Amino acid sequence: MHGAPVLEMRDISRRFGNTQALDGVSLRLYPGEIHALLGENGAGKSTLIKIMTGVHQPDSGQILLDGRPVHIGSTLEAQRLGIAAIYQEPLMYPDLNVAENIFIAHANRGPWVDWRRMYRDAENILSQLDVRLDVRQPARGLSVAAQQTVEIARALSLQVRVLIMDEPTAALSAHEVDQLFAIVQRLRDQGVAILFISHRLEEVFRIADRITILRDGQLISSAPRADVTPERAIRDMAGRAIELLFPRRDTVRDRVLVQVRDLGRTGVFSGISFDVREGEVLGFAGLVGARRTDVGLALFGIAPADSGTIVIDGHAVRITKPAQAMRYGIAYASEDRRGLGLSLPMSIAANITLPMLRRYLTPMGLLRRNAEASTAEEYRRRLSIRTPSVEVEVSRLSGGNQQKVMLSKWLNTKPRLLILDEPTRGIDVGAKAEVHQMIDDLAAEGVAIILISSDLPEVLAMSDRVLVMREGRQMGIFNRREATQERILAAAMGQSETLTS
Amino acid sequence: MSNRTVRIKVKTMTAWRQRIRPEQLRELSLVVLIAAALLIFGWQIENFLSARTFNRIATSVAIVGMVAIGQTLVVLTRNIDLSVGSIVGFTAYFVGSQLAANNAMGAPVAVALAVAVGGLMGLINGLIVAYGRVPAIITTLGTLAIYRMLLINYANARTVTVDSLPSWVVDFSRQTLLSIGDFAVRPLMVVTLATVVVFQFVLGYTVFGRRLYAIGSNPEAARFAGLPAQRLVLIAFTLCGMLAGLAGFLFLARFGTITAVAGQGIELESVAAVVVGGVNTFGGSGTALGALLGAFLIDLLGQGLLRWLGISEFWRDALLGLLILLAVASDAVILGWLRQLWQRGAEVNHGR
Amino acid sequence: MGANLRRLVSWEGFLLGILVLVIIVNTSRAPAYLSLTNQINLFQLSIEKIIVALVMTFVIINGEIDLSVASVMGLAACMIAVLFESGVPLPLAILAALIAGVCCGAFNGLWVAYVGLPSLAVTLAGMIGYRGVARILIEDRSIGGFPAWFTALGQQPLLGPFPLSLILFAVLFALAIIILQFSGIGRIIYVIGNNAAVARYSGIDTPRLKLGVFVASGLIAAMAGVLLAARLGAVRGNTAEGFELDIITMVLLGGVSIFGGVGNLVGVGLAILVILNLRNGMSLLNVTGNVQTGVIGVLLILSVLLPNLVQMARERLQRRTTQRKEVQVETETSASS
Repeated sequence: MHGAPVLEMRDISRRFGNTQALDGVSLRLYPGEIHALLGENGAGKSTLIKIMTGVHQPDSGQILLDGRPVHIGSTLEAQRLGIAAIYQEPLMYPDLNVAENIFIAHANRGPWVDWRRMYRDAENILSQLDVRLDVRQPARGLSVAAQQTVEIARALSLQVRVLIMDEPTAALSAHEVDQLFAIVQRLRDQGVAILFISHRLEEVFRIADRITILRDGQLISSAPRADVTPERAIRDMAGRAIELLFPRRDTVRDRVLVQVRDLGRTGVFSGISFDVREGEVLGFAGLVGARRTDVGLALFGIAPADSGTIVIDGHAVRITKPAQAMRYGIAYASEDRRGLGLSLPMSIAANITLPMLRRYLTPMGLLRRNAEASTAEEYRRRLSIRTPSVEVEVSRLSGGNQQKVMLSKWLNTKPRLLILDEPTRGIDVGAKAEVHQMIDDLAAEGVAIILISSDLPEVLAMSDRVLVMREGRQMGIFNRREATQERILAAAMGQSETLTS
Repeated sequence: MSNRTVRIKVKTMTAWRQRIRPEQLRELSLVVLIAAALLIFGWQIENFLSARTFNRIATSVAIVGMVAIGQTLVVLTRNIDLSVGSIVGFTAYFVGSQLAANNAMGAPVAVALAVAVGGLMGLINGLIVAYGRVPAIITTLGTLAIYRMLLINYANARTVTVDSLPSWVVDFSRQTLLSIGDFAVRPLMVVTLATVVVFQFVLGYTVFGRRLYAIGSNPEAARFAGLPAQRLVLIAFTLCGMLAGLAGFLFLARFGTITAVAGQGIELESVAAVVVGGVNTFGGSGTALGALLGAFLIDLLGQGLLRWLGISEFWRDALLGLLILLAVASDAVILGWLRQLWQRGAEVNHGR
Repeated sequence: MGANLRRLVSWEGFLLGILVLVIIVNTSRAPAYLSLTNQINLFQLSIEKIIVALVMTFVIINGEIDLSVASVMGLAACMIAVLFESGVPLPLAILAALIAGVCCGAFNGLWVAYVGLPSLAVTLAGMIGYRGVARILIEDRSIGGFPAWFTALGQQPLLGPFPLSLILFAVLFALAIIILQFSGIGRIIYVIGNNAAVARYSGIDTPRLKLGVFVASGLIAAMAGVLLAARLGAVRGNTAEGFELDIITMVLLGGVSIFGGVGNLVGVGLAILVILNLRNGMSLLNVTGNVQTGVIGVLLILSVLLPNLVQMARERLQRRTTQRKEVQVETETSASS
């Protein structure tokens, strides 16, 4: 039915440091086909997209456009070849209006702006998509859905032949998703090849002509939709090898430290309820956009909850500032190590003592460098941070060692509830094992831990119970016996009834 | 409120929303403010609404307004040019001394000379900012001092005097092109108005202009889309320098007597005009007309309040400082409010 | 040693080199140049700016800017003059001027730290507005005739050959170094300047600290204004006008990044010495004040431009090398296939 593919990726491999992000992946995109790409977080989807759009170059393999090998050196080159991508968060010029946002980068429209013609062209393109949007409206006030529509229109105006959509539905309501799908189907009918990435399985099965599944950088399966069942797709995605099955000790104590009931933040998440006991590791599983980090931020007071209750040690508390959370013994180690977790130009010691700086000051307010250094040395030994000295700037450490510095920083606050957000993302296997060991040790000491991780095997191996979230809602809590990769993935993708335990 | 009223209200809001852009709203609010100020002053102050007041304000706004137009171009791209005062002074003195030395020089040559000298200075600023990646505030703080130094060296404590200039220069500012009653339309104001028209068009109707807004509005997106941001910033600075040069010529024509301190402080007045005129200091929004209206409002309030409240000339700066702060703060508030309004409108649109 | 640290050290080395060069040239032209009297005189001529440069270092490292300092200096000077003229005892007038400085700083700080307006715009308004208040107070008069003890404090040696302002500067410099480089507050100022979000995610009350820095800036600027009045013996509406340029230049030339988080007081101290000696040397050569300012403007631009150019050249070189490597890899693969 298709004829020749527009874009063919042949045997593409790409390494980042120690991680083989893509390992000999081949993929063909045909005109007039919606091709869905599925995979867990870290399966290699985004690397593949970035290679298609010229952000990354492959280490090996070939890219063919209309059967001819091409080199895609930049996003601009990709655009010239007719390859465009739309991301979860659209790139808009908020001060320009819709029509301008579509045409601003066009080179061939002459030096004058013919507003009337531009409005007409914009309206034409939007009506091709059967969208009613005021083209004179500035982008600033637009909803994410409308912004995506503008991006699609922008791509269309550039004679796009391959349109990549990376989780376009993550921030959309059900009604908006329907509208988007109508647009996508219309594009397909016009002969555009569409690569569609989504974590919502029902959407994929609703719209895709072909489903390809990646896992650990390898192509696991690629088949027409009719030949795939949701069960099989989940199985293919979930079969990840567990590199290091960590033997957790049983450390859960009886005393409930934190009770959370019906916690919510308007427009972000709602209805989150759970207990954490001392010595318990509560895993938070979910896919991108599940809003797990936002729950952590609410507990830490960065973006406070506006409904529900938090009870600590039997007392209802309101947490609106990090300093407050820290007084209740809550610590939050951010997923964004470099942007939010560590002050990169400062020394290891300065970073470790930062939240507790008051303890390292003389009565006059001067720094007690020796005390700082000895604390830092203590953690350097305890977490085996590999560095010539604790006075070294954090920016010069490897990812794993930076992670250990950040953990040290929060351990030094002697937390009772430690929230770890993606503690092993982007670090090597050895460091990962050490972090796992540390989690187990802390739990044995009676610290309650919330482990937010997109690494499913890790969550399963480390957690006593697993809370699964999907798009800001709690899908269930599974205890160790119930928790399997398939069940958790199914819940995270909205494929199962709500379970509570 | 009944459901019906709400619906009607929403409907009118939607209709209104479709016709007016936020930038135009800002210009409109300035016009309203100016009209209100004129009314109040006219009512409270004897002889305020006279040709004399008008002529006085028009002449002084012409120069600052010209500089403010150039400043707008630079601020739109998330930069700032603090060297414009020195450029005005330098070109005024330089062209003045050339005219004094060569009385036969014609008007076109003199104006071209002023624009070229100013443009060269702006080009230097632009090269350092866009290609040398030096923050604009550092660059232009530096060139503010450097251009002034060049002027002082060049002037060597001499003064360009009215007598030494060809008579057409002085006539240029005094001449009345057209008078409506006592209201005189003078060339100074005409040149500035013409420039505003040109740049209102450039900013609104050329790809170059719209791209200035784009790079100020979201530099990351601009880079991603491959817009030539460096070149655009360079051109913005160069144009700003050219307009400052032209303002230097107007300065010469207005005062005739030029010393080495000419134009000092215009950089701040122009930034003030731009900010009051609704040009966002974070780039991306504002117009040349807005900047000119801002300059006009500042001058009007300055003159009017002083006379109305019977306070001395010395209150001027304090009021100006307050006005700038109010403008910046209200911008932050109004922007948030506008955003909400548009959003609500968008939802209504979506639902229909 | 860290890359940043190394760059700073080399920057300070560069400043030191220039300083030595300037001093050698100056000494060769005027043998008495290095005499204590001349050096004290050198400091004395710009002492108020130097004092404010110390607190400006805090403001800029904290990631903000304060353009209003010179106007606060002028306002403080005008306040004591006007109050004194109307019969208020001078010590009380000085106190009032200092309080006014604190108020100006707090006003700036509240808008920046708690409303979130850009400090460039807020302090620009302050720069014009505070100067305006000074003008309202003093109009176009020049007020002098202060008691002898006051002007003597500004002009005469107090301790050995050193006048009060110089002693004050020495004390403040020591204090500033202790606070910025050795205290907890200094540590937090750097952290916020580097990345305010990291500070917030570590439980630090960022706005309060920012407010504090602006208040300190206002207070020190007012104090410098008082000193200026004492030294000049007479105050006018334009006292200290335009000083902010020199002050900010001193800080930036000292290796402090306009984006915050980078730099230290040793660098700023060296930059102050360079500027003072350079100006004095140019004075010896009969170069006028405005040309001196121009030369310093050149220095200011070069201090950022040169490292940038070096960096760009290095990047270009790197790109070329990687390209060559890629070509090599390609030939290898094609050879093996």
